[in-house]
Amino acid sequence: MKEYDSKNSNSMLDDEDELTVKQLIDGLEKLDQWNPVSTPNLQWFQQNIELEKKRIRYKQWKDLLKFISVAVFVLSVWIAVVYRQPILLLYFQLVGIILLPLALNKNRKKVSDE
Amino acid sequence: MDEKDLIRKAKRGDTMALSKLLQQNYSFLEKYLMKVTLHPQSAEDLTQETMVKCIEKIQLYNGESKFSSWLITIATNLFIDQQRRKKREKNWLEQEQALRKMKWNVANMNDEWANVLDVLAQINEEIRTPIVLKHYYGYSYKEIGEMMGIAEGTVKSRVSNGLKSVRMEMAEL
Repeated sequence: MKEYDSKNSNSMLDDEDELTVKQLIDGLEKLDQWNPVSTPNLQWFQQNIELEKKRIRYKQWKDLLKFISVAVFVLSVWIAVVYRQPILLLYFQLVGIILLPLALNKNRKKVSDE
Repeated sequence: MDEKDLIRKAKRGDTMALSKLLQQNYSFLEKYLMKVTLHPQSAEDLTQETMVKCIEKIQLYNGESKFSSWLITIATNLFIDQQRRKKREKNWLEQEQALRKMKWNVANMNDEWANVLDVLAQINEEIRTPIVLKHYYGYSYKEIGEMMGIAEGTVKSRVSNGLKSVRMEMAEL
């Protein structure tokens, strides 16, 4: 299939390019011969998949706990502020509204720099 | 059991099916990575990283492309990210060392080294990868664009200019 595809994809090339592509294919095929790949046995894959699944489950629990802790903290602060000094909540929101465009602008600059 | 069945079972969480799927594609993937990295150790490490990513993301495979193409997409992105993270100087030195080692092994096997590999190694990986995908694996420009997350036209120009520079370098050798 590879040969068929390669020939097919090279049908639009001129003679010089075709020669370069041939040299390229030959070189890459030699690379395969010089570096034979040994595929591990099925058990190795099973063990690694089990380990990886365990790691993913652990990470998911960790992330969930982190999320819940942050949410509880933010909610407690918010509730405390609402009941004790509601005016502070207004100030926080004003600061947020001022800082948000600045933060967004900074991000945009970073992307355009790249 | 054919690949489609294995994929279906693997997505449902069947470890055995996923193991078989990964085992079937392991050598294809490592050979591909060998061709784009031109660095046997990096190819092996990236193959294993790709396998880990595949275990994580198997639920997201939608069957639109072949499973092997999906693996190539993951592997290519991991490779390009890795190259961007590394410093250029260090990268070049590592590549040089890997090529020297391979040349030494080839000489020990009494075989002749392919100069085109030296030329390929000098080309930036973002150009080398589409050349390999197009002219060795026979993927279309559209498929390569989707794999690398770039426009079809960009792939075309990278492949065409890359091939031109390979030809020129080969003529100088």
